[in-house]
Amino acid sequence: MTGPAIRVQDLMYSYGDLKAVNGISFDVQPGEILGFLGPNGAGKSTTIKMLTGQLTPKGGTAQVLGIDISADDPEMQAQIGVCFEEKNLYLNMSAKENLDFFASLYGIKNPDSIEVLRRVGLAERAGDRVSQFSKGMRQRMMISRSFINQPKVLFLDEPTDGLDPVTSAQIRRTIKEEAERGAAVLLTTHDMFEADELSDRVAFLNDGEIVALDSAENLKLKYGTRSVKVRLRDGDSVREEHIELDKEDSSARLAELTASPHLMTIHTEEATLENIFIELTGRGLKE
Amino acid sequence: MTPTISRASILRALLKKELIAYSRDKLYLFLTILTLVFMVGIFWLLPDVVEESISLAVTPPIQTLVTDAQDTLRAMGATDEQLADVDQVDLTEGQEGLELVEFEDEAQMTAVIEGTLELWRTDAGDSVFRDVEAKEDKPKDADRVNVDIGIAFPDGFITDVAAKQDDITVRVYSDAAVPKEIQGAMQSFVREAAYQLAGQELPVDMPADDAIVLGQDRAGEQVSIRQKMRPMLAFMILLVECLAMASLISVEVLQRTVTAVLITPVKVSDFLIAKTIFGTGLALTQGLIVLALVGAFTAQNWSLLFVAILIGSMMFTGVSMIVGSAGKDFMGQLFYSMLFVIPLIIPTFSVLYPGSAATWVKAIPTFPVMDVLVGATIYGATWAESWQSLAYAAAWLVVLFGTGLVSLKRKVESL
Repeated sequence: MTGPAIRVQDLMYSYGDLKAVNGISFDVQPGEILGFLGPNGAGKSTTIKMLTGQLTPKGGTAQVLGIDISADDPEMQAQIGVCFEEKNLYLNMSAKENLDFFASLYGIKNPDSIEVLRRVGLAERAGDRVSQFSKGMRQRMMISRSFINQPKVLFLDEPTDGLDPVTSAQIRRTIKEEAERGAAVLLTTHDMFEADELSDRVAFLNDGEIVALDSAENLKLKYGTRSVKVRLRDGDSVREEHIELDKEDSSARLAELTASPHLMTIHTEEATLENIFIELTGRGLKE
Repeated sequence: MTPTISRASILRALLKKELIAYSRDKLYLFLTILTLVFMVGIFWLLPDVVEESISLAVTPPIQTLVTDAQDTLRAMGATDEQLADVDQVDLTEGQEGLELVEFEDEAQMTAVIEGTLELWRTDAGDSVFRDVEAKEDKPKDADRVNVDIGIAFPDGFITDVAAKQDDITVRVYSDAAVPKEIQGAMQSFVREAAYQLAGQELPVDMPADDAIVLGQDRAGEQVSIRQKMRPMLAFMILLVECLAMASLISVEVLQRTVTAVLITPVKVSDFLIAKTIFGTGLALTQGLIVLALVGAFTAQNWSLLFVAILIGSMMFTGVSMIVGSAGKDFMGQLFYSMLFVIPLIIPTFSVLYPGSAATWVKAIPTFPVMDVLVGATIYGATWAESWQSLAYAAAWLVVLFGTGLVSLKRKVESL
C-alpha cells in the first residue's frame, strides 16, 4: 500500500447537540507517530472510536490503510491494533491466555505471546491471571495486546495515563519500537511531555477541532518565544529575570547581566506545548 | 500479509474463551456442581413410594361393639340370620386405604394421637406401647404405627343407635396437623359406621360408583416425590445455567471486553452466535445429564425430552442475554436476574400441586416447557399429547430469544 496509513477528511461526530468532533482533517504516514493533544472532552477518544469502527461518523470520510472506515471491513480490522483508555482485559484469564485469545481472533496460529510479553516486561508473569496484576502491569498488557497482530496502524488512547514514570518510560519505548517497525501510530494524550517525546507531529485538539497540526519543533518555533532565565543575588534574596531573545534590546541586556558580579545562574527557556496550547485555545491541557 | 480468518475459526476461538471464562467463575461452577451432584443425590434418597393408607384408631375394639350389638339384638328378639349379619360388619369395607387400629380404652388412644404414647407393632403382630415422656427404650423388631385420628364410641352405642336415641355422642380425636378435610371425612365416616353397626341404611342417596374421581385417577399409582423431582431438577439446572450465562455476558459488557473483541475481525453477529451456542449448549448438556442421572429417559420419551430441554435452553439463553445486557453493575444484574427468574420459576410448583396451575401461571413462558417435561417424565406423555405445549413453548422461545438477541446487540453496539 502506498500513501497515508490514515487519511481523515472533515470527520464529524456529535452526541445530541454537542459536536464532539467538528470537521477534522489529517493524515498519518506509515512509521509516523501523530500525537493528539488536548484536554478531556476535546474529541480525542471519539476520533479513535470512529476510526476503529466503534462509532459511525456523522459526517466526513476516513480511510485506514486505504479502506473506508464505514465499510466495516474485517480486512482493515485485522491490520489495526487498539489500546483503549479503559483496561478491558479478561481478568480471569492469564496474560498469555489473553494474548493467545486475541491472536486467534486475528487468525494467528501459534502466536509467540511470551515474546510479546517480554517486550513489555511481563514474560515472567505470563501464567498469572490478569486480576492479580497492578494497574501498571495491566496497562502494559493493554499495550502488548494492541500489537499482538503486528498491526500496520496503532491507535493508542492515553496509554500512560496515571502510570508511574518507570512504567510510562517502558511503554513509550515500546511505542517507539512499533513506529520503527513501520506502524502508523495515532496517540491521544493530554500529557505534553509524552506528546513532545514521542510524536513526529502533534495535533492540538480543542472543542472537536484541530487548532494546530505540525511537528513539536515547528509549533514551538511558530508559536513559542525563545528566552533565558537569569538569577541574580539581590542582598540576602535571589532575583529572577526573563529575557526574550527575539526582542531588539535583549542582547544588550543579556550582556549587562552576564557581566554583573551578582549573577548566579543562566538557563535557556523553551516554550512548552502546553504554553502553545494555552496561547492558541485560552485553556490548559489538564482542564 | 494478513492471515486468512474464517468465521468458523473465530467462533471456535470465542467458544474456547467462553469455556475458560465459565470454568473460572467459581460461584456458578459451584452451583452447577451442587445441582448436578447434591440435588441428584437427594433425588435418589427421596422415597419412591407413596403412603396411600391412613390409620384410624377406634375404641373400644370392633369385636366389643359387635358383641354388644348382638346381645342387644338378641334381647330384642332378632333371628340367628340377623345376628350373623352383624357379625360380618367390616368398618373398612369400601374405605380404600383405611387401616383400623383398635384400642381398649379412650385415654390410651388419645395419648397415642397426642404423641405422649407410641404404638409399635412387632414382627409377630403384637402391639407394644412406649411411654415417650418416661423415655422408655424403643421396642426391638418392631415398626411404629402412626395414628393421627381416632374415634371413641360410647358405651351402649349400638343399643342407643338401635333405639334411635338423639343424644348419642361419638368423639373424633385428631392430631393438630391433620388437615380439616380429613377431619371432616372422618366425621362422615363415623356416621356411616354407626349406621352400619346398627344395621340401618344411611338416610341419603349414594351414587352407584364407589367414588367419583375428578381428573386423572391415579389411585394405586400415585406420583412419588422422587418422580416429581425429575422435571423440577432439569428445570432448576436450566435456571442455574441461565444465571451463569447472564453473569458471563454481564461481566463482558461491564468490563467492556466485548469492545476489545469487536475491534478485531469479529463481527457482532459472531459474538451473538457464540453466546447462543455456548449458552444453549451449556444448559442443554447439563439438562440432559440431569435427566439421564435421574433416570428420566425411556425409549418412548427421549426425543420429546430432548426437544423440550433444547427449547428451554434456548429460551433461558435469551433471558440471560436480556439480563446480561440490562444491568449497569453487579447489583443491577442481580436485580434483573431476580426480576426475570422468579416469575419463570413459578410453573415448577405446578408439579408439586398438580391441577393447581391458574390461568396466569399458564401464561408464563416456561409453563409449556415444564408441562412437556412433567408429561414426558411422569405421565408418559407422547408427541401427540405434547405438540400443543411444544408449539406454545416455541412461540415463547421466538419472543424471548429474539428480545435477548436485540437487547444484547444494541448494548454491545452502544458501548
